Amino acid sequence: MSDKYIIQVKNLTKIFGDGVEIKALDGVDLDIERGEFLAIIGPSGSGKSTLLNQIGILDTPTSGTVLLNGVDVTKMSDKERSRTRNKELGFIFQYHHLLPDFNALENVMMPLLISGIRSSQARDIARKVLDEVGLGDRMEHRPNQLSGGQNQRVAIARALVNKPSIVIGDEPTGNLDSKASENIYELLRQLNREHNQTFILVTHDERMAAKTDRIIRLVDGRVAENSINSN
Amino acid sequence: MFELDVATRHIKSRRRQTLFSIIAVSLAVGIIIIFMSMMSGYTSILIDSTTENQAHITVMPKEGEDYIHLYHGLENHIYDLEGVEAVSSYFQGEAALQYKHNVEGVLLYGINPEDENRVVNRDKYMLAGEFTSIENPGSRIVLGYKLAKNLDVGMGDSVTAKVPGAEPTDFTITGIFQTGTPLDETMAFVNIERLQDLYGSGDVITGMGIRMFDAYAAEELANGIDRETGYDAISWMEQNAEILTLLETSEGMVYFFYVIIFSISGFGIANVLIMIVMEKVGEIGMLMAMGTSRRSIMLIFLLEAAILGMFGVIVGCILGYGASLAIASITIPVPPEMYFGMDHLPIVIELENFISASIFAMVINIIAGVFPARRASKMDPVEAIYSV
Repeated sequence: MSDKYIIQVKNLTKIFGDGVEIKALDGVDLDIERGEFLAIIGPSGSGKSTLLNQIGILDTPTSGTVLLNGVDVTKMSDKERSRTRNKELGFIFQYHHLLPDFNALENVMMPLLISGIRSSQARDIARKVLDEVGLGDRMEHRPNQLSGGQNQRVAIARALVNKPSIVIGDEPTGNLDSKASENIYELLRQLNREHNQTFILVTHDERMAAKTDRIIRLVDGRVAENSINSN
Repeated sequence: MFELDVATRHIKSRRRQTLFSIIAVSLAVGIIIIFMSMMSGYTSILIDSTTENQAHITVMPKEGEDYIHLYHGLENHIYDLEGVEAVSSYFQGEAALQYKHNVEGVLLYGINPEDENRVVNRDKYMLAGEFTSIENPGSRIVLGYKLAKNLDVGMGDSVTAKVPGAEPTDFTITGIFQTGTPLDETMAFVNIERLQDLYGSGDVITGMGIRMFDAYAAEELANGIDRETGYDAISWMEQNAEILTLLETSEGMVYFFYVIIFSISGFGIANVLIMIVMEKVGEIGMLMAMGTSRRSIMLIFLLEAAILGMFGVIVGCILGYGASLAIASITIPVPPEMYFGMDHLPIVIELENFISASIFAMVINIIAGVFPARRASKMDPVEAIYSV
C-alpha cells in the first residue's frame, strides 16, 4: 500500500444479470491520489456509475478489490460498510435526494446525526458548511422551496459536512442548466482546493471533465483512457 | 436519535393516512376494552353470585356413609382453621311438598338460620317473612318463590311434607325467598332439629357449609380438610367446575376475536407503512449512502409503527373508557330471574384490561411494522438511489 493513493482499484469486475450476463466492469485497475479532482467519462452503459458505486461501497464487486486508505472494502461487514460510508465518503447524485420532510439545515445535519454527534453540535457544523456553499440565508427552507441549483448545493453541503476524505459525484450537475452547472462545478473545485479532499465525478460533460486533474474514460467496462489534464 | 426524527417526519407528512390508521387502532382498542369490561363484569357477577349463593366449601360424609356423626367437634375444629369465617351444619333430605292437589319435589334443608346466614346471606334474598323464623324447632318452612308459585301457596299457608318412612307433617310458610337461580323452584328450609326428628336420624348431619374470608382460598383449604379429616370436602370451584370451564372457554374464544380485531387494525398500520416505504425508496437509499445501517432503517419504520400504535392506543383507551361508562349506565328491562337479577349490562372497568389491551395492540402493531421495515432495510442502496 502506498500513502500516496487513497483509492486503489484492482482487477475489478462486476457482472450483472441472471440468465443473460452483462459485464459492467471488466478488470478495472485504477489508482487515485489523495486530493485528486478526477472525472470518469464514457458513453452510457460503459460502467461509470457501477465503478463509482464500487468505490462508494454501495455495491459489491463480482471479483477484484477496492482498497480505501489501504483497507479492502470488499471484505467489510455490512456494519463496517455503513460506518465507512458515513465517515469517509460523501455522495452527490444527479437527483439531490434531500429528505423532503426536513429543511436544508436538517438535511445537512443528517450525516452528523447518523454518526452520533449531538444535535446542537451538528447544527453549528451544518450551518458553517451551508454558509460555505452560499446558502446561509436558505437554511430553514425545505427542498420544495428551493431551486434545482440550490438543492444541489444543499446536497453538496450534506456530502461535505462529515469532512469525508472522498467525495463522489454521479452527474452532480446533470439536472441543472449550464449556468448552474458551471457554478456547482466551480464550487466543487474550490472546496477540493480548500479542503484537499478527493473528488471523483462521473460526467457526460466533456467540457467540464476537461477542467479536472485527470480523466478516466471507460468503454465497455474497461479503462480506455487515463489522461492527466494539463490545465 | 435521528431514527425517531425521521420516523416522526414521515408520519407527519402523511396526515390523512396517519389519521385513518390511528382511528383503526383506536376503534380496535376501544371495542376490545368494552368487550373486556363486559367479560370482567359477566365473570365477576357469575363468580360473585356463585360465591354469595353457596358455601365456599361443603363438607360431606365419608365415603360409604350417609351422615356425619358427632359433628359438633368437627364444626368447632373447622371453625378454628385459618381463613374460615363461618360454618353451618345442615341436614338435607328429599321430600314432596303438597298443597291441595299440587305436589312438588323439593330438597329440604334443615339448618340453624343464624349459622346459615353467616355462610350464605339468606336474609338478603327474602321476599316475604323472616329467614330466622325457623330458628326454633317448630313446624315452619321457608321456601323459594317459584316453588310457592307452583304450589299456589302464600305466607301463612300450610303445606304437607312427605318424607320416606315418616308420617306426613304440616309446615306453615313463614318466609319466601328469591335468589334468581333455579334453587327458587326446588329449595326449602326448615329448622335442623325438626328435620332430624322428621327423618328420625338422631343428632347427625348430611353436610356442613363453610364460608371463607377469601373465596379463592377455598380449594386449598378443602384439600386440607379432605386430607386431615377424611371427610369429603368440596370447594365451590370444584362444584362449579363446569361454569368455570365455560368461562375459561369463552375467554379463550374472546381472545381469538381480539386477535382478529387487532390484526385488522394491524393491517391498517402495515398498509400506511408499506405506502411510506414505497414512496421513500430514494430517501432510504440516500440514508444508506449517508451511512445509516440496515438496523437503523428497520428501526425507523418500527418506530413509525409504534408511534401510530401508541396514538391509537391512547385514543382507544379514552374511547373504551367512555363507551364502557355509557354502556354501564343504560338500564335494560330484563326479568329479574334472568341473569342473576341484573337490569343492566355487567361492566367492570379494570385498569388491568386497559393495560392488556394496550400491550396486545402495541405488540400486534409492531409486528405489522416488521414486514415493511424489513423490506426497507433489505433494499439495495444502489437500486434505491437510482430508482428516482
